[in-house]
Amino acid sequence: MSNNNPLSPHIQIYSWNISSLISISHRIIGVINIVALTLICLWIALLLLGETNYEYIKFFLQSFLGKFLILGLTWSFSFQILSEIRHLFWDFGYGFELITSKITGLIVIFGSIVLTILIYLYSKQIF
Amino acid sequence: MINATKKWIFLKVSSIILVPLMAWFIINLVSIYDKSYVDIVIFFSTQPSKFLTSFLMIVAFFYSSLSISEIFEDYIHDEKVKSVANKAITTFAIIIPLITIIIIFNLTT
Repeated sequence: MSNNNPLSPHIQIYSWNISSLISISHRIIGVINIVALTLICLWIALLLLGETNYEYIKFFLQSFLGKFLILGLTWSFSFQILSEIRHLFWDFGYGFELITSKITGLIVIFGSIVLTILIYLYSKQIF
Repeated sequence: MINATKKWIFLKVSSIILVPLMAWFIINLVSIYDKSYVDIVIFFSTQPSKFLTSFLMIVAFFYSSLSISEIFEDYIHDEKVKSVANKAITTFAIIIPLITIIIIFNLTT
């Protein structure tokens, strides 16, 4: 029997706005984060190989690419944290007005960049 | 209570737990990622990071399993393919954190 339930339309057919941008980004970044967490699990598993073998991983993590990946991961985590908080406010019935939704969307985008910088500076004890 | 309501409640409860756990983990990850082998093993094998990392893995993979099944619901049209995809993501969300926790609890310097 065919399923005639409505399905989400392709994202290309609507004009872009802040809400749709955050909505699709939230999903894509959620998937990226779980892939990243899987890689972190692999990183933890590689610790079992011992100190000598870990030098290769340490070399990679200390390289420009390694630092770039960690910075990217910090941004994707920051984005998801702020976006989840926005969703939780919606769940309690706040922030549905169009203007509020646009403002909180912008807070998620720009706040994630600010939060990334703050986390990096705080974690590296730069301040 | 219907299944969809239960799923929504699980999703929201795990989301509330995940926000502070993710913040804690990313701050610590940035602090330790380029440190020595011994520093990293000490971080993962001592409390509270041992417990919090294990807890993060359980909640994050549980949350992801529920979220990704929502994406499957929205974008996969074929019921059989959707069912296989949901089973695959559930299995993945159980095995990966389980193996990681076993490893964390067996780490020694």
